Parts: sequence; structure tokens; C-alpha cells
Amino acid sequence: MRKSLVLALLLSMILVVSGSVFAEKAEITIAGGSVGQELELTKEAAQMYMEEHPDVKVNVLDTPDLATDRLGLYLQFLEAESPKVDVYQVDVIWPGDLAEHFLDLYNYGAKDMVDDHFQAIVENNTVDGRLVAMPWFTDAGLLYYRQDLLDKYGYDVPQTWQEFERTAKAIQEGERAAGNQDFYGYVWQGDAYEGLTCNALEFIYSNGGGTIVSPDKKITINNEKAIEAIDMASDWVGYISPPGVTGLAEESARKIWEAGNAAFMRNWPYAYPLGNVEGSAIKGKYDVAPLPAGDSGKSAATLGGWNLAVSKYSEHPEVAADFALFMAGPKVQKLRAVKGSFNPTIKSLYQDEEVLEASPFFGSLYEVFTNAVARPSTATAPRYNEVSRLFFQAVHSVLTDEMEARTAIEYLELDLVDLLGYEIGEPRQP
Amino acid sequence: MSSGNLAREEQKLAYKLLIPAFLILITIAVYPLGQVFYTSFTDKTFATGREASFIGLENYKTLLSVTIKELPPVVDENTGEQKIGEDGQPVFERPIRVLPRRPELYRPVFEFSFFSNRFVVGAINPDFLTAVWNTIIFTVFSVFFETLIGLGIALVVNSEFKGRGAMRAVMLVPWAVITVVSARMWEWMFEPTRTGFFNMIFERMGVGDGNFSFLTTTELQLPSLIAVDVWKTTPFMALLILAGLQLIPNELYEAARVDGANKVKQFFSITLPLLKPSLAVALVFRTLDALRVFDIFQVLLSQKRYSMASYNYFQLIQARKMGLASAVGVIIFIVIFIFAVTYIKMLGVDTDE
Repeated sequence: MRKSLVLALLLSMILVVSGSVFAEKAEITIAGGSVGQELELTKEAAQMYMEEHPDVKVNVLDTPDLATDRLGLYLQFLEAESPKVDVYQVDVIWPGDLAEHFLDLYNYGAKDMVDDHFQAIVENNTVDGRLVAMPWFTDAGLLYYRQDLLDKYGYDVPQTWQEFERTAKAIQEGERAAGNQDFYGYVWQGDAYEGLTCNALEFIYSNGGGTIVSPDKKITINNEKAIEAIDMASDWVGYISPPGVTGLAEESARKIWEAGNAAFMRNWPYAYPLGNVEGSAIKGKYDVAPLPAGDSGKSAATLGGWNLAVSKYSEHPEVAADFALFMAGPKVQKLRAVKGSFNPTIKSLYQDEEVLEASPFFGSLYEVFTNAVARPSTATAPRYNEVSRLFFQAVHSVLTDEMEARTAIEYLELDLVDLLGYEIGEPRQP
Repeated sequence: MSSGNLAREEQKLAYKLLIPAFLILITIAVYPLGQVFYTSFTDKTFATGREASFIGLENYKTLLSVTIKELPPVVDENTGEQKIGEDGQPVFERPIRVLPRRPELYRPVFEFSFFSNRFVVGAINPDFLTAVWNTIIFTVFSVFFETLIGLGIALVVNSEFKGRGAMRAVMLVPWAVITVVSARMWEWMFEPTRTGFFNMIFERMGVGDGNFSFLTTTELQLPSLIAVDVWKTTPFMALLILAGLQLIPNELYEAARVDGANKVKQFFSITLPLLKPSLAVALVFRTLDALRVFDIFQVLLSQKRYSMASYNYFQLIQARKMGLASAVGVIIFIVIFIFAVTYIKMLGVDTDE
């Protein structure tokens, strides 16, 4: 009796195991972002792929909003050489650091595709001649402004930071006097994370303060222009920006903006369609422009964007690579541009009528996207994350009044010299 | 066979029977711990194939080196006297000019005055030392309040009243919520605008203008976190104390009443002394737990301010310094070990009665 029971158990186990082997449905997982509509659109694109390839099942893994947290999750998968995730959505600053874990997509047919994409991003993703990630969408910091309020108070879109401060202050005072006590002039990303590096880089670079570390590997952060720009931003806290701006990230800033409680917002393009949905307090009342310029006379936008890399620990590398190329291809990029305002990395899509109709600023701000200033991730690889952390913590300590800008920057310079061993130099001008 | 032989045989058997337990201990405790100790002496990088090299005590030196330097007064060139700042305080040299830079850069941790001389305490890694300090402050205050409130709640739900069972179940709700989830809930309540619960309440009460930034203002960060932890873990404390209360026989209180002792006297002469063993266990549990605090620091403060464990996490994940992170782990282990031993000695938990 007992023997037959054991036999039956064994048999059923064999059946179950072989069942899953013979099903032959390759299952792959993509780890993607979930900021704004990202998750939805990734799922939609995955569905499209599965319809074309019925023998593949694509899972979408939801990952943390903050890039910093997301990297933490990825590193744990990569350290364990885990095959659980096949395709990673990687930030434009990571390819240098993580290259050893990813496949060379040139071996999987990317050669014919890369010429259609922005050259700068392809170069960024090429490490030692290997294409470790496929460009997926690009990003640049933009100034969102409330057209209705500018009209109401008789201002133009500000071109310089001085004009900007005056305008923001005037609108803030006007709206508060009109009864909205929660109204602020400007919301941006001031929490201590990668987003602050992007924000600070913009006001420092536009003021002629350089890019922290210059492309020719000189540490340039300790200069009067940079200190002046950081001082300017720390004056915004509690003045034209809420005191809590030192805890704001993209999504929390967007919430204040969409509630109609801010005249200006600094954010990435993804926020553009989200404010125009039914029920939004600011539907049809806003537009985007380049960020204001500082002493350099030029505006600066930090280059962002995400790419798709295929893990070399994947169990189905061919399928995963094919999926990554499909996702980065024109069909999916167009879908994402139309529905979610994610900037395509394929040049021809900027002339596409449907895309331009959905996000008119793709055409008018084309220059901003092509001239965006890169974070010093190449010049400092593989230590960019450390550089960025030291930088945003230094800036954050000034924003929260723990340190004077001058002292914070002097320490930052000493730290960077210790960390990188580079020489000190003059900042590069835009 | 002599009885001595028999005893030896039995002893042998006992050892053999212990082997599985030892094997499990070695695989799940000794091996990983040894691995961490070993890694802490190397400069290993996380998630990379690069070779690590042995660097001895370098990681510990980076984490623990401190120095004290006197800050010289800034002399006014015109008067030859010490400069007086705008706030009426005498001006001293900035620490960055005084602290050593070679071979390692020291950063200021804090300044203090001693007989009109001013000193600065510098460290190679002030973040870690402040993380240790944050954790200890957090532990002391949260455990203190949890014990106090927990004791109160336990006394209430231990008394006879209608719906006591339901009350005991309800009491446990905050503890049952996953910490990350409850930390997120509190994050929303701490919102720095009037959409936040606390700002709304404080403004209604006439405190502040509804713009307290609880999680970014240095003075408010730790009190906020302690509030979250007290809310969350008091039920656990109450539960442990309640178990202790139920062990005290009712006859003692009856006898005390007959002898004319009032409630306060009963509490201090009967309840507290008899509760001591359970209280001690609860305290040890909570203290050691609080010293390892990670989740609420990681969710609410992220890289704005660290606990020992969240500092460890960010060194490993962000900076990818596995060697340094292991050294942090070892130090946390030692700190907790010291706390545990002190507690057990102080409260006499292990002494037979």
C-alpha cells in the first residue's frame, strides 16, 4: 500500500516537472520603471510582443520610483547572478558601471538599428566597443509654467533666473492674497538623491559653474559661479519654494503642480500629458519651456533617459535580446511618445505627425533635447554613484542650512580629489 | 561493563546526536558571520567580478578614526583682539582650516567649548559616527516610551471589563502592519504642506503655519521617527508585559487588600517586582531590535540621515563598498553584543532564583 503511494507521488512529480519542460514557452522578465504611465506602457508593449510571439511570455517587474533605490535592487540581482530578470531598464548614467553584467547587443542584431538613434546616447551605451544597452527614451529637464497665471499677472515666460524669481514671487503673493494659502512659486526635486544632482547641475551649469567634473577629468566644482548658484537655490527654500522642497522628488513635485498649487515646476517630459487628463486642476493651462539661464547666458537641461540592457545571466538570451530590440524599435517608441510623452531616441520620430500632435514641444524644444548636458558619468566611471552622492549630499546640506555653500563645496572638492585622484581645473562653459 | 564506560558511551552518543544541530549552526550562523568578518578586511566591491585584496584593518580605521583639535581664535587685524561675530559670539577659525587633510581627510562631527577655548571633533567618516549616535538616541527614547505606554496599556487590558478580548486584538493592529507600509503611511501624514495630517492638526491648534518639514528639518527627524516606532511597537511591548501580568496570582492582591495596601502600594510592591523578569525579556528584545533599525530610516530618511543599518545598506548598495559595509556589519554586531551582555548582567535575567 505504502509503496504504491510513494510510486504514485513520484510519478505525479515527474509529470509535473516534464510538463513544464515540454511546454516550451520561454518566459522572460523585464524590470521597468513605474513613474507616471511607465508601468502601464511597458505592459502594453509587452502584450504587443506576446501577440507577435505566442511562444513567449513576458513578465513586467515593477521597480522603485527613485533611481537610487532601483539601482540597489538591480545590484542585488546582478551580485547573485540571478536569471530572474532578463531585461533591465537602466539609467543613462549606469552603462559604464554595470557593463560587465550585460550582453553585447551587437551580437544580437542591433548593428542595423543603432544608426536611427541619437548618436550621443549610442556612444554613451557603448563600453569598450560593446553595445551594452539599447537607447529607449531620452529625457531633459524642462520648465513647466502656468500660462493662465502668467497672463493674469502680466508676465512673460522668464528667460533668466533673476526674472524667474521675481515672476514666481509675484504670482505666489498674488495667489495667496486671492485665498490659496498653499500656493508656491516653484516646485522642483530637492530631496537627497540622484534627482537633486540633475536639478543642481542645471542651475550650476547655466550659471557658468561647470559640470562638477569636466569631460577631460578635472575637478571643477569649487568656483564662485557654482557657489553663487547653490546659494540662489537655497534662498528659494521657504521663499518661492515650499520648505519641504528638500524632500520632494519627481512624483511629489508633480502632485503639488497638478493640484494647481505651483506656478512653475521643473520636471522631465513625462509629466506633460499627465496634467491634461480629465479632472486635473491645470488641464490646458500650462506649457513647457527651457529652464531659465544664469550668468552664462544659456539655459541648461540635464540629460536623462533610460535604456534597455540584457542580462548575461538570462536563461533565454536570444529571446530577451529580441524583446529588448523590439521595445527600443520604432513601433514601441512611437506608442510611448504618443501616449506618455516619452522622448523617442529615434531621430525620425521627431518628424512624425502623430507624435508632434500629442507633444508639440518635441518639435519646438528639439534643440533642448539634443543639447542636454550630461552628468559626469563617463569622466568618473566607475565611481559616478559615489561622486553623485557626495555632490547631492553637499548641496542638500546647504539647502537645509546645515552648512554654508562655500564650506560644503570646499569639502566636496577635497572629497572628490580623494575619491578620483584627478586634478583641479576650470569649469567648461556652455 | 563499568559504570564509567557506560557514561562515556552515553556522552559519545550525545555528541553524535548533536552533530546535525552543529552542522546547521555552522551553515547558517558561523559560516556567514565568518565570511562577513573576512570580507571586512578586504576592499571587495559589490556586484563585480574584480579581484579583492586584503587590506587589514584599513576599513575599521576609516570608520572609527577621530581626532580633537583646538580652533584658534580669529584675530581682528585692527584691534589685535579676537573678532566678534554678528551674533555677538567670538569668532573662531573654521574647522576645515584646522583639521588634518593628509594622509586622510578629517571632517567635523561637532564643536564644543571648554573654558573659552573652542574645540572641534573630527572624523574620517562622520556619517558613520553620527549614524551610531542616531541609532542610540533612537533606541533609548523609543524603547523608553514603548515600555512606559506598553505597561499602561497592558495594565488596562489586564483588568476586567466588557469587550476585553476584542480590545486585546485591536491593540495589536499597528504591530501587524508591515513596517514599510506603515512607514509610507506616516510619510504621507508627515507631508510638509497642509495636505499632511500633522501639519493640518498643528495649524488648527495654532502651532506653526502648516509648513513643518518633519523629515528634512534636522531637529524634527529623530522625534518623528521615534513617534512612528512607538506607535508601531508599543503593542508588542504591551503583549509581552501582559503575559507577565497574567503570571501574577490574584491571591497576592487579595492578601494585600486585606492588609490595607492601596492600589499604588500594590503596584510598586507586587506588580512591578513580579513583572521584572518579563519586563527584562521585553526590554532586551526591543533594545536589540531597535539597534538594528533599518526599514523606517530607509523609507523615511533615505540618505538624509542614517541609522547604523541603513548606513550599512547604502555603503553596500550605493557605494558598492562591500568590504567597508562588512566592517560596519561587524561593528553593529559588536555594539549589539555589548548591549546584550550589559542588559543580561544588569537585569539578572540568567541568574537562577
